[in-house]
Amino acid sequence: MIFRLKSEKDTHQAGLILGEMASSGDLFCLSGTLGAGKTYLTKGIAESLGIDPSKVTSPTFTLVQEYFGKLPLYHWDLYRLEDPSEALDLGLEDHLDGDGLTVIEWAELLENELPKERLSIRLIPDGDCRNIEILASSKYQKTYAMIKERFSSCFA
Amino acid sequence: MSTLVLGIESSCDETAASVVRDGREVLSNIIATQIPWHKAYGGVVPEIASRKHLEFINPVIRKALDDAGVTLDDIGAVAVTYGPGLVGALLVGLSAAKALAYSRNLPLVGVNHIEGHIYANFLAHQDLEAPLVCLTVSGGHTTLLYIEEMGDYTIIGQTRDDAAGEAFDKVSRVLGLGYPGGPAVEKAAQTGNPNAFRFPKALHGELDFSFSGLKTAVINTFHNAGQKGEELNINDLAASFQESVVEVLTEKTMLAAEKKNAKNILLSGGVASNERLREVLTAACKDAHKTLYFPPKVLCTDNAAMIACAGFYRLKKGNIAKWDLNADPRLGL
Repeated sequence: MIFRLKSEKDTHQAGLILGEMASSGDLFCLSGTLGAGKTYLTKGIAESLGIDPSKVTSPTFTLVQEYFGKLPLYHWDLYRLEDPSEALDLGLEDHLDGDGLTVIEWAELLENELPKERLSIRLIPDGDCRNIEILASSKYQKTYAMIKERFSSCFA
Repeated sequence: MSTLVLGIESSCDETAASVVRDGREVLSNIIATQIPWHKAYGGVVPEIASRKHLEFINPVIRKALDDAGVTLDDIGAVAVTYGPGLVGALLVGLSAAKALAYSRNLPLVGVNHIEGHIYANFLAHQDLEAPLVCLTVSGGHTTLLYIEEMGDYTIIGQTRDDAAGEAFDKVSRVLGLGYPGGPAVEKAAQTGNPNAFRFPKALHGELDFSFSGLKTAVINTFHNAGQKGEELNINDLAASFQESVVEVLTEKTMLAAEKKNAKNILLSGGVASNERLREVLTAACKDAHKTLYFPPKVLCTDNAAMIACAGFYRLKKGNIAKWDLNADPRLGL
């Protein structure tokens, strides 16, 4: 599915919906160029899990940040890893096997080593707007359908 | 009676150890990446990974003791960063510190990495006293701290999205200026016009920061010009971006100092090396009759001397850790 997000408010709303549809053990792979709104979207996801969005900061330098809400949220960013597979040693593998929601920014940098079962979210800048494109593997089809329904009514 | 503290730091990219006497005199300051280990490793140095910390921790501690001309017998306490940072990395330093302290029956002191950056100033300026306000600004952090008394701190402001250093890095990448971004942008800005572009100011809480909007605005300006086939002066863009960052960092720091009635202001963290920030903050402090302190560049980046120093003051206040001290990746936030 692909929807148009006309403002930051829309991106935030999209994040809220995605967070609402997340379940324990889920993996959301986030991609998009610098400034596309990946962290901003993640703030919305965090907020719907009951986490204070102002505390969700960019994990670019810290590599990963953990938050505890309705589900644990593991917020990763592979941007500055010269060898992104190091993330697996640094705790990513544990998170992927865990009970929380793992959100990985710049997930495409570790394409082949991440589980195939995932929800892939891409943010594409288009002037001041963003297009949000979502793809789902087989395990996430139900989640996908629910997100599509909500997105259809929010982002006509 | 002199107290020697062995400081250990492994919160993210750096493995470091240091011996400091009485919280002020640095006897050794060993930082793994500043030593040509690659010769010993045949040119292949493990990158950011717990592996790297595991390989460096013992040699780094040993060198810290050797260079200080002391042995473990002379050490009075072990101070270690226990957060924030990468849990896998933190655990390496923490485990080494615990092992040393436990086996020698020495007090173990846990130090917050951000707090450590404040103490880099106490090492550099022997006459510095609390109360003071400290701006710690780096790739991973942009935090305003208030220190009423040595050995304790309160966080009074922080970034809600990107750290300032991170914004420098990302803008540098988009503008094609290279890595590391801070020095690259600073260099380009030297011949640029800081008023060529005006970027919107983020309005976020009184003492909180936000740099992602500024980052996006700079990126958009760059891309829009490219799309329209317009010529863009990269140095002007770099200078204007830098000016915006420096402006907001200065404004909020001065506001914090006023609110807390602090006469002394500290600047620390990697971005503290930025000359334009130092210049503007110095001028603002002069106008407000306040004194600005910042450490030498070697103490701006991550190091263990600042941890040993912070550890000494925490020890004096009786803030000794229990043996179950654990790594806390989210500490202080």
